[in-house]
Amino acid sequence: MNEYSGEDLEVVFPERRYEAIAKIMETAVRVRKERKWTFTDILDHVFLHRVLGIPIFLALLYAVFQFTFAISAPFSDMIDLSFGWLGSLAGANISNPMLASFVADGVCAGLGSVLVFIPPIFILFFALAILEDSGYLARAAFVMDRAMYKLGLHGRSFIPLITGFGCNIPAIMATRSIENENDRIITILVNPLMSCSARLPVYVLLAGVIFSTSYVAGAAVFSMYVLGIALAVMSALVFRKTLFRGKPAPFVLELPRYAVPGLKSVTLHMWERGKWFLIKAGTFIFAVVIVAWALSTFPWAATAGGELIENSYIAMFGHVIEPLFRPFGWNWQSAVALFFGFLAKEAVVGTFGALLGAEGEGVNIALANAHWFTPLSGFAYMVFVLIYFPCVATIGVMLKELRPRWVLFAAMYTLILAFVVASLVMAIGHLAGLA
Amino acid sequence: MITVALIGNPNVGKTELFNRLTGLKQHVGNWPGVTVEKKVGKCQYKGEELEIVDLPGTYSLTARAMDELIARNYIVEDKPDVVVDIVDGTNLERNLYLTLLLLELEANVVVALNQWDMVNERGIEIDVDKLSSLLGVPVVPTVATTGEGLEALKEAILTAARNKDRRRKIVIGYGDDLEALIKRVRDVIAKDTGLARKYPPRWLAIKALEHDEEVLKRLQDSPYWDEIRGVIPNK
Repeated sequence: MNEYSGEDLEVVFPERRYEAIAKIMETAVRVRKERKWTFTDILDHVFLHRVLGIPIFLALLYAVFQFTFAISAPFSDMIDLSFGWLGSLAGANISNPMLASFVADGVCAGLGSVLVFIPPIFILFFALAILEDSGYLARAAFVMDRAMYKLGLHGRSFIPLITGFGCNIPAIMATRSIENENDRIITILVNPLMSCSARLPVYVLLAGVIFSTSYVAGAAVFSMYVLGIALAVMSALVFRKTLFRGKPAPFVLELPRYAVPGLKSVTLHMWERGKWFLIKAGTFIFAVVIVAWALSTFPWAATAGGELIENSYIAMFGHVIEPLFRPFGWNWQSAVALFFGFLAKEAVVGTFGALLGAEGEGVNIALANAHWFTPLSGFAYMVFVLIYFPCVATIGVMLKELRPRWVLFAAMYTLILAFVVASLVMAIGHLAGLA
Repeated sequence: MITVALIGNPNVGKTELFNRLTGLKQHVGNWPGVTVEKKVGKCQYKGEELEIVDLPGTYSLTARAMDELIARNYIVEDKPDVVVDIVDGTNLERNLYLTLLLLELEANVVVALNQWDMVNERGIEIDVDKLSSLLGVPVVPTVATTGEGLEALKEAILTAARNKDRRRKIVIGYGDDLEALIKRVRDVIAKDTGLARKYPPRWLAIKALEHDEEVLKRLQDSPYWDEIRGVIPNK
């Protein structure tokens, strides 16, 4: 009776199941010999091509971003104009100056500057949902997997990484499908480097301000996503070689067939993901923006009702942390925005809105007129926002998934990496004579 | 109300089928204790209300991965009236593995043979009736992307729910040697009547022999643990 050891049994049971399946297949299924090429076969021949696969993926990603900005710009302008109009209306009609400042400079300027990103974020989700529902996203994952596996990374990691383009939180949750614990930890650690939709507003604002042609601005935004992927892959490689030695576990990826995405399903996907932005904007970002407004307006007498921001509490705080960022040529306002951006990355934009008190004109115009950034320092700022600190909500999810010391590690390495890469950008820019 | 769990390998069209069945009447929450998304929806069919729970997509039902454990625990503990196993007809061989595991769990399975249009396109001929009789459960061809076969699937769910206690329980044999081993373990486990009433004893026996951590943990609390341990070959 004891001809099997326990170890054998773990293998023998699945083997017998496959034998039973083979018998079922034999009796119930017949495959006709002359198999034709299906639509899926033809597309896969192109999309999964050994050499062209990755360039095709990057080209499609680029098209997604250009599509997003081209379509969303007029809608964003409409929201921008209406908040500007509401703000000036409030400024003119509310007699209590403190309340007028609160409504105009705080609520309308601050929140309005974040809400103009409803169109690009929803359209980005719409485009990603089309890629997903068409069956392409799994191919993209497969194509990248192949490259990553050669680098010693786990194949299944790329799906959570792509999810990170939407938001890092569901992406980190998606790592649960990775059975090997080391592979899973590495994937979580590098996930914040995938540029989530919350960072998009910052890029769009900055790129629009520092680059005059929309074509260059679009390319600059796209470069953030590529940089994020490159840094994630590189960091994962470093972690694999130092902290988690060993080989990644093998993986199997099943490719769904191609389908024409249904409008209903795509819209549902877009809404399910996009609604978090609305909820976040209405609660968390709103609160942060109000705090930023209050700190920039008080003490009320000294700032003359928010006119002289230099005398406000936020300026005092800004001047304390500003030296850290002086090498990059960022002023204290930008430093403060980074601080609030730790709470939610969209809050960087909201803080600019509140600090500039941009009524009647968009934050982008106000920021351009303020001349806070040169093209080089602005680009370095975008890079810094991409890399530094996962946002508070992401840290919260990481704490659920990892031991606290790994979460601390994630926070520290991203901060250091942000300084290093932003410095590199400045150095290369100076060498190239772009300063 | 009839509770229906949807399960299947990843990328077989499970989400599409869930959306087709429930429309916009969905509720998204978390599985208790973990941050894995749990989607529940409702649908009406012939005056019956069906509550549809979307289980995580998995290839297997081991205790090693979180999503597999969630799916398995739901079926074992919450005992849904019907478990719809969505199977990719173009990839039947791999997909049937999960089906066998579900049968082992003695779930009230209805197989949705999805991507039926592709099956024909690829020159695969599946004898649905034969497949159904071999598995001992209803098999319904569906196309989730177009909604084809959905009415038949709902009908099969309803029938399966009504005949829950009268269904034929088919046993996929593991061969004489293993069957003798399974029977020995099963007979010891069956002595613990409380345990045997809660979980299928044959399933417990197979899982114990496979050294499934979760099942072993449960068996350790049994007063017959020493005896059970005696009949399981060591690692």
